[in-house]
Amino acid sequence: MFRDIDDVRQRLSQQQYIASEEIGTVVYLAQSLCKPILAEGPAGVGKTELAKAWAGALEHRLVRLQCYEGLDESKALYEWEYAKQMLYTQLLRDTLHDFLGDATSLAEAANRLSQEEDVFFSENFLLPRPLLTALTSEQPVVLLIDEIDRADVEFEAFLLEVLSDFQVSIPELGTISARHQPMVLLTSNNTRELSEALKRRCLYLFVDYPTRDAELDIVRLKVPALGEELARQAVAVVQQLRNMDLRKVPSISETLDWARALVALNATEIDEETLRNTLTVLLKYEADVAKARRLLGNGGSHRPGGRYGQSDR
Amino acid sequence: MDSRIVEFVRGLRAAGVRISLAESIDALKAVETLGVADKGHFRESLRTTLVKESNDFPVFNELFPLYFGSGGPPLQNALEDMMPDEQEMLEAALSALSGRLQKLMDWLTSGEGPTKEELEELARRAGAQWADNPEAGKWVTRRMLRQMGFEHLEEQLQQLVQKLQEMGMSQDAIEKLLGVVEANREALAEQVAQQIGLQIAQDRANRPDDIYTSDLMHKPFDALTEEEAERLRREVQRLVTQLRSRAALRRKRGKQGKFDAKGTIRANQRYGGVPFEMKLKKKKLKPSLVLICDVSRSTENVVEFMLHLAQQLHDQVSKVRAFAFYDQLLELPPEVLQLIGDRQPDAAFDIIRRLLPYRPYGTDLGFCLDAFCQQHLSTVSSRSTVIILGDGRNNFNAPRLDLIKMLQRRARRLIWLNPEHERQWGTGDSDMIDYAPLCDAVYPVRNLAQLSAAVDRLLAGG
Repeated sequence: MFRDIDDVRQRLSQQQYIASEEIGTVVYLAQSLCKPILAEGPAGVGKTELAKAWAGALEHRLVRLQCYEGLDESKALYEWEYAKQMLYTQLLRDTLHDFLGDATSLAEAANRLSQEEDVFFSENFLLPRPLLTALTSEQPVVLLIDEIDRADVEFEAFLLEVLSDFQVSIPELGTISARHQPMVLLTSNNTRELSEALKRRCLYLFVDYPTRDAELDIVRLKVPALGEELARQAVAVVQQLRNMDLRKVPSISETLDWARALVALNATEIDEETLRNTLTVLLKYEADVAKARRLLGNGGSHRPGGRYGQSDR
Repeated sequence: MDSRIVEFVRGLRAAGVRISLAESIDALKAVETLGVADKGHFRESLRTTLVKESNDFPVFNELFPLYFGSGGPPLQNALEDMMPDEQEMLEAALSALSGRLQKLMDWLTSGEGPTKEELEELARRAGAQWADNPEAGKWVTRRMLRQMGFEHLEEQLQQLVQKLQEMGMSQDAIEKLLGVVEANREALAEQVAQQIGLQIAQDRANRPDDIYTSDLMHKPFDALTEEEAERLRREVQRLVTQLRSRAALRRKRGKQGKFDAKGTIRANQRYGGVPFEMKLKKKKLKPSLVLICDVSRSTENVVEFMLHLAQQLHDQVSKVRAFAFYDQLLELPPEVLQLIGDRQPDAAFDIIRRLLPYRPYGTDLGFCLDAFCQQHLSTVSSRSTVIILGDGRNNFNAPRLDLIKMLQRRARRLIWLNPEHERQWGTGDSDMIDYAPLCDAVYPVRNLAQLSAAVDRLLAGG
């Protein structure tokens, strides 16, 4: 458990995650109010990373549920292991025979069997999926529900029930409540509007691209091999790219990839050639790369004006 | 503090941020946990619990300092650093200056600004209670500063300096005094701006909301003002989210459909044919829509909202074909739907009007139905729901009931949405009474509430 906000930030930074004041506050509140966090923001700003660092800082296990279109309860919560049930029935045929052998009528045999059917619908044959794992875990866990905006609206509604009471009911077994209330982090890239009911139950955290200084800190922390001056230049270039009117601007993870690439290439400074060779690490569209080359090529002598810039012709 | 937070929540709501009771309770709990000592944490705890859309952050950032700010930077006391004889000189010089600026000069030199009551009084005199948005707030602020005499301040200061020089105050002391006065002037202006901002936010929160959106939902389309229509357009997004989650839930429950024998056998092959998993047939509930809309003047609003809903719900329907009719039939090009989805109905209707020029008394549904059946009948199959949106007023042209009958037989359903009240059907040139029994369903759509209910039933397959 975290003691206070500074504790949160310090322990997250021990996990190599630089948390802003805002993130620290929200994480601390999530713990003290027992509420899930909904983290929104552009892709690649470290939302998923936050969950990992959170789990690491608390020394809890991280349970991850990756959402996708068509995800349903049986993939997210639990499933009966039919094959195993089948196998057991086959193997236990002899025992069953002994057990039912002296029954005089079919009705009696069926009755006797029905008294024992709990055997086949016990937790032995239950295949727990991430949500059930998180609820029934002996140790407290951090539950990451990644990219909730990709799941269907039905699944969102189902998730609401789980998140509001932290219990699920399995018809054959009854209601299972959480041993420890898990810390929950939902992430969304905002590809669709989430329902208000879900938002209402969560604390809201908007993670945006970091400022120049914050990004520099991250690069220093994650890629210490990159020289100080080079890191500064690299971050400056990335920040400049984010100001351009591109189809996809580079995210933090791409900045880090680029920084590692620079280290691997033994670059000493970011000159035109290095930039030309490595720009594709940052930019993933041909049109973006061409535009960035044009705008950065002149040594950044005038600021990229995006759509209105003179250089854009 | 709690009551201040509640007021703040009301202020946010009045500015258009959706905040539920549960969320304001969360905010109070969060503040209880973190305390109010650290302003940054306090601010974060309110924001994370109250504001759940990044679009609403600017509103929060604008209102927070107004409600929890210090009311502006404090004023400095010019007299403090002065020699006793200089203080006397200043007081003498101030009292020698006559006129209405005396009070202002007092505030600027003594470091004691106007009290809260005085500020409120001044704000009221400047007309803060009539302003209802931040833009107007700037204007009121300027006006209030003028009333306080900021305009004539320069003159007055020159006179003061002159007097002080005559009295023999050193140039240094005068410069210092002027420096303090200048700083105080800025601080006071800031205080005034914050006071006005707060007053406007509070007034907005306290004003009985005469045009509640929920009331607007029930206001007939033809009685909407342009401003109200704009508010409703913004509401469509929320409405769509609701309709979508209802439809999705229905589809989920709808999965308990018929037993799928083939699927079950196939699925259970791997268990040696023992039927462990049961498969059910998924019902195809996503309708494919053919919209035929009357775009005469009287139905412009309702057509716009219908198309807006259809455009926004595109993931809930398998296909939408939209036609407009007036005296001719026209398939609406995609950019029209796009413009309506982007809340630019005027541009959209400009395109429609260019393609279908307006003629008074031009509506002819019968003729257009005939054109539809000749050119576009292939769009109607047993899977499609045909929706006719119009008032059924035909200018005494042939109603072509036979074509309606044929369409009804051919389509899965034929639904008529009529923006007129039932008692007006059949009056004048309305053929609605004849059309109605031929349709699978007729829904009145006089306002947005009825329209969204109709769309909801449509998605439910009814």
